[in-house]
Amino acid sequence: MPGVENCLQEAMAIPGAIGASIVDYTTGFPVATTGAAPNEDHEAAAAGTADVVQAAQSRSLFVSAVPHDLLEDLIITTAGGYHLLRLVRTDFDSRLVLYVWLDRVRGNLAVARRRMERLADELIST
Amino acid sequence: MKSPTSAAPGGLLTRAADERRTGALVVGGAPGGTVYLAEGLVTYAESSAAPGVGELLTASGRLAARTWQAALDAGTAQARVGRLLLDQGHITQGELELCVLGVTYDAAYFALARGSAPVNFLDGAVHWLGEVVRVDPAAVAREARRRARMLDEIYPNPRIDTVAVTPVPRPPRERVTLTAAQWELLVHADGQRTPADLALLLGRAGYATIQELRRLAALGLIEPPAERTADPAFVRLPRARGSSVDVQRVTPAAPDGPTVPIVVPARPGLASGDPPAPAPREPEPAGPAERPPRLARRKPGARLPKEIAAEPAPVHPGTDEVLLKRIRTALRALR
Repeated sequence: MPGVENCLQEAMAIPGAIGASIVDYTTGFPVATTGAAPNEDHEAAAAGTADVVQAAQSRSLFVSAVPHDLLEDLIITTAGGYHLLRLVRTDFDSRLVLYVWLDRVRGNLAVARRRMERLADELIST
Repeated sequence: MKSPTSAAPGGLLTRAADERRTGALVVGGAPGGTVYLAEGLVTYAESSAAPGVGELLTASGRLAARTWQAALDAGTAQARVGRLLLDQGHITQGELELCVLGVTYDAAYFALARGSAPVNFLDGAVHWLGEVVRVDPAAVAREARRRARMLDEIYPNPRIDTVAVTPVPRPPRERVTLTAAQWELLVHADGQRTPADLALLLGRAGYATIQELRRLAALGLIEPPAERTADPAFVRLPRARGSSVDVQRVTPAAPDGPTVPIVVPARPGLASGDPPAPAPREPEPAGPAERPPRLARRKPGARLPKEIAAEPAPVHPGTDEVLLKRIRTALRALR
């Protein structure tokens, strides 16, 4: 039965993963972290993650273009890597996002997206 | 068990963590809360302003109230409610961990945010949920301070966090954009429910609720809490709890200062036909002014002055929150 630590370990097993965390995006707080973070600062990275998710979720209108549309993930591509943010939807009230930092050369975006989708689902379902 | 002493809750948490103690840090006052430690690491926190694990899981429909109650009945005495829910397959390890982490940081904010409060450490106390996670207390205390800062960046009025929420009858602009969470709050705010009531009713984290309320206040969509000092000419003196300011009380004049006429308001208890009190009066000597303030004399059956009647009843610090929460959950299960 996977717990939070287990989920992050599996996220680090994604090819090219450098760091991973679970972030509360209303407060910008890293609930759990593992591996490296941009500038070696998981808390700053979490605050940035929260800003990005909130910008996409509530400050812009992408997710309300179609009724019942939902934000699933966000991908930020830089010259050196990919930053993948996948929303973790729990039944109870929480605002969590799974964040994985991938190396641009070793990482495979499609594989990572699929693996993160599965991880986020497994974390909250039996 | 020592009697509660007034101190900084955050400082005491750090000390208890350094000594690797096991027990509960009970913070009094409003809203107050309890932070549970095991060998110096935080395992859980609860506060009356933050819905607990049971409230979040049942309000969202993730667990039936009956299921939660059964786990409480069976596991409270051995402090293994969480373990029971996992073993019976009602909830996954991941869900429980995320829920407990969320609740812990949420309640810790309310317990630790205040600079000074009556605090007490109960050695050996364990929460009935049982140990699900362990968190570094320094991270918890740092996060509580950061959350307080974030609220002030949105809209610096802490009274919004505690007073009953009243939506404005007419929005201040032609077009308003709301998030789903804000809509939910406005629809359920009825002028009676406090932010803590709304969080519990909607099954949402207490901090997330006041965060949205501060945003709504910044947008001008909820009524700003009434200012206590309405009339700047009339300065109310600090008073002891449970008593009131004597309206006749006069400040002792400074010995060599310039003589300033003191305006004394008419006595509220006077019948309308009575002549007004002679004013201005001579300031009384310092002796009587230093006595504890007394209530002005009232007619039989007259109402208490507004400022006393509006004062909430003092919260009894020893109220067993866990017991109250259990009773509430049990009552819900009967519905």
